[in-house]
Amino acid sequence: MQEILLSLLLFTPLLAALVSLFFPATAIQLFRYTTLVANIAQAFFLILLLGSYQNSAGLQFVEHQPWITMDLGSWGTLKAEYFIGIDGLSMPLVVLSVFIMLIATISSWTILKNVKGYFILLLILNTAIIGSFVALDFLLFYLFFEFMLLPMFFLIALWGGPRKEYASIKFFLYTLLGSILILIVMIGLNLSVHDPSISGQLVHSFNIIHMSSPINFISFSILDPHNAWQIGLYNARQWAFLLLFFGFAIKLPMVPFHTWLPDAHVEAPTPISVILAALLLKVGGYGLARIAFPIFPDATIYFGGFIGVMGVISIIYGGLNALSSKDLKRLIAYSSISHMGFVLLGFASLTAEGVVGSIYQMFSHGIISAMLFLLAGVLYDRTNNRMIANYSGLYSKMPWYAVMIIVAFFASMGLPGFSGFIAEIMVFLGAFKSNSVQGPLHESIAITATLGLVLAAAYYLWTLQRMFFGPFNLKGDITSDQMFDLNKREFIMLIPLAAAALFFGIYPQPMIAIIDPFAKHFAEFVIGAGKSLTLNP
Amino acid sequence: MADLKDKLELIGMSLSFFVPELVLIVGIILLIGIGLRKKQYPPLLTFLSLLLFSFSFLCYVFTWRIYVTPQKIFNGFLRSDDFSAFLKMLFDVAGILTVLMTWRKQKEQRYLPEYYALLFAIVLGAHLLVMSMNLIMVFISLELISISAYVLTGFSFSKKGAEGSMKYFLFGSVASAVMLYGFSMLYGLTGTLDFSSAEFIDHLLGKNSTLFFIAALMALAGFLYKIAAAPLHLWAPDVYEAAPMPIVAFFSVVPKLAGIGVLTKFILAINIFGQSAFDWQFIISLVSILSLTVGNFSALLQKNPKRLMAYSSIAQSGFLLAGVAAFLPQGVHFMLFYATVYMFVNFLVFVYLQYFESYGFSSLESFSGAGRTHVWPSILILIGFVSLTGLPPTAGFTAKFFVFSSLWEAYHLSGKNILLWLLIFGLLNTVVSLFYYLRIPYYTFIKEAESGTKTNFLAFENLLGFVLVLLVFVLFFYPGLLMGWINKINFVL
Repeated sequence: MQEILLSLLLFTPLLAALVSLFFPATAIQLFRYTTLVANIAQAFFLILLLGSYQNSAGLQFVEHQPWITMDLGSWGTLKAEYFIGIDGLSMPLVVLSVFIMLIATISSWTILKNVKGYFILLLILNTAIIGSFVALDFLLFYLFFEFMLLPMFFLIALWGGPRKEYASIKFFLYTLLGSILILIVMIGLNLSVHDPSISGQLVHSFNIIHMSSPINFISFSILDPHNAWQIGLYNARQWAFLLLFFGFAIKLPMVPFHTWLPDAHVEAPTPISVILAALLLKVGGYGLARIAFPIFPDATIYFGGFIGVMGVISIIYGGLNALSSKDLKRLIAYSSISHMGFVLLGFASLTAEGVVGSIYQMFSHGIISAMLFLLAGVLYDRTNNRMIANYSGLYSKMPWYAVMIIVAFFASMGLPGFSGFIAEIMVFLGAFKSNSVQGPLHESIAITATLGLVLAAAYYLWTLQRMFFGPFNLKGDITSDQMFDLNKREFIMLIPLAAAALFFGIYPQPMIAIIDPFAKHFAEFVIGAGKSLTLNP
Repeated sequence: MADLKDKLELIGMSLSFFVPELVLIVGIILLIGIGLRKKQYPPLLTFLSLLLFSFSFLCYVFTWRIYVTPQKIFNGFLRSDDFSAFLKMLFDVAGILTVLMTWRKQKEQRYLPEYYALLFAIVLGAHLLVMSMNLIMVFISLELISISAYVLTGFSFSKKGAEGSMKYFLFGSVASAVMLYGFSMLYGLTGTLDFSSAEFIDHLLGKNSTLFFIAALMALAGFLYKIAAAPLHLWAPDVYEAAPMPIVAFFSVVPKLAGIGVLTKFILAINIFGQSAFDWQFIISLVSILSLTVGNFSALLQKNPKRLMAYSSIAQSGFLLAGVAAFLPQGVHFMLFYATVYMFVNFLVFVYLQYFESYGFSSLESFSGAGRTHVWPSILILIGFVSLTGLPPTAGFTAKFFVFSSLWEAYHLSGKNILLWLLIFGLLNTVVSLFYYLRIPYYTFIKEAESGTKTNFLAFENLLGFVLVLLVFVLFFYPGLLMGWINKINFVL
């Protein structure tokens, strides 16, 4: 059981999707509960997994099975494996995925249209997301990565709001463009990396662990670190890094590739918005830390300053846009962009603190943004209207709702006591320290980034003031009998999220203990390998 | 007398490599014979065609050994080798699938015996074309394909059909004439018609004359016309729109792959292992880029599913050419893999386009809401389109992945910038193609329409479609099944 625990966690939803396929479309409750059971089973497997997870042991629960082995004549052999495992980078994200998918399923009770199709797609999406967090073979990762697109596309396009078609196609084209950029590099890496475990013959490997070690590159291959090709301005490795970086940055999303996100969020149904913000964006950050940085450490150092600047631009531009948003969901979407900028900044600092901060930020943002989108959804369910200007003084009518929103806003702002604070403080520590330990970031970048905190306070407090305080008043065609406080199901979703945001803000140690060994190794490796490759190419 | 005896022996030997073609010839004669009778039984005709195509196919499966070693037959006019044998198998499978598609419409199709006979003629022409080593033989087999195709285009017996057929004929004749002119100049330059012979190569070695360039370019034009590569693609949309659905599916596979097969041989012959005075790799890459871009961008504007597929097939020609453009043995292997996947996926899509057409879905808008009433066909056609785009987990991804890796490698080996551009254009075009490939699924699933009655799941198309979808998945998860076989193919000039 121990050996296949991770696979069980991964494929339970897919199995549930297969089973659901055979239920009649009218059995609405059956689909809901099948999905819920699958989620709970996943949570059970996750608890077992956490029980025997050892913080300092690096990769564990590794499963290694041959998948594609193909003899290509003079080219040697092409080998792809079913290779999954979990470490300090993927563990927080897997925990987050299981948790958020459970909440999203509960939130999906409001979906009444074509329930069968919806839950089957949701289950497939679940496997794809967790799969991309645990896959350690590039081809396998790419399979899961691409496989997120189609279910997501249909979930937005079929169950979305009025401009769902525009939003879903925009989402699909942007992310596909990103994954094509990744595909180019994947092909190049496969041609350039060989599997050291098999001696005597040339085996082209997709193994990400092998790719992350400069000695496994074939001499004189196109991405060989000791003999990289010059193509135009940069050498082949730097180009490959840029392609990967932009590929994942679209997913993250980083300004200026973010424009798909507000549209997708505004049109998507609430549970899908939650998944999109809490999990899909994280795949971008995860891809950078798992693939782009360790495989091309030399290029990471070369472009580190640039990445940091892009992070700061995302933080500030996202914040400014949030400030000017008229739609509550759009505001939250822009605040997501702003928060994901911190992830970039932390990784770019290449310090243990910064990397811990980034991963912690991904985890914490997952929880907080899920809560924010659920709360926006609560309002939308009642009135079909999310315009901030249409509401005022909601506190008197919906006190519990207002309390929850205040908690979520403060958590997202990074107020001490909430998980966002820990994450952002770590990122800032890393970014300030970076220059002194020969990392790529200058202190001025970190100082500029603090502006993001001020902006966050501004747009959240201003929204609170406009919507929740002052005299009770509604505009548009909203009537006051539409406004009622949270119901039981909504409490069930929101309370655990609020509790998690608080718990990980007050007592971050368990999560940091998981992340820290990875972050330390990551920062040392990227700086060390990167410097040595740059100095003696 | 002894001379005659030798000749007879040679013919006898040649015939032993020629059994599948003989089967096809018997098929043509039988079908035309049956066509003379007043009363026909469509199921019998269909069954007969199915039997003969399967027989030809099984010939290759069971006697694969004898095709492995290259063997010149019929005085060097043809050559039997495993490269051509593999393509010929694909043609036979395409024939089988076309007959299966026709099966549903056999009662409505007028002149069914002639219809099948022409189908056999095209497959025979394709068989001969990929075996040809002689320019005359290339021309004759290409004309066998073309003339039969002109006639088949008109087999919907409508005004549109006549128009399409006429356009195809006029464009096609000009292309053939140009090609023949090119051949005649090549003959004048080299003194031989056998383009694999040492004589042919010796005369062209290092020949830096414009005449050679123009002659070869004209000859290429004929092949590029046949595979509908830009800028010689203009006929495709009209012909696709006019012809009956099974014929469109057939056209998008058999003449195209036959053209690619002979083009591969020809281009490698005139390239003379890179010793040619002209950069043919550049030309092929350029055509490939052009086909990809023109095909994909024109497809964006289409409102008719058949025209959309016509432009899609133009773009797919670009991908097939990209496999050839690597000029590597591995590139040719990957091209064959791509061709196989393309055939299955294309038939998958066309089976369902025909299915939907029979329910009156003839423009893209009319597909609105079909996802409710025709659940399984909509899902299966979606998988087909996803595979044509090249997304995992379908074989289309594997095929594109292979073609791109051979381009990477070719770029790495030769350092030619055009290959990098081809790679970039190919990848970006994948994004563009998604936009139109998802248009039909977009209408079926996302656009609402007043719902009709649900249709029965147990249709023949669903069985056929299911088998094809299974193949598409199997070739993704176990590409080694097919690739292992293709890798044993030894491409010789």
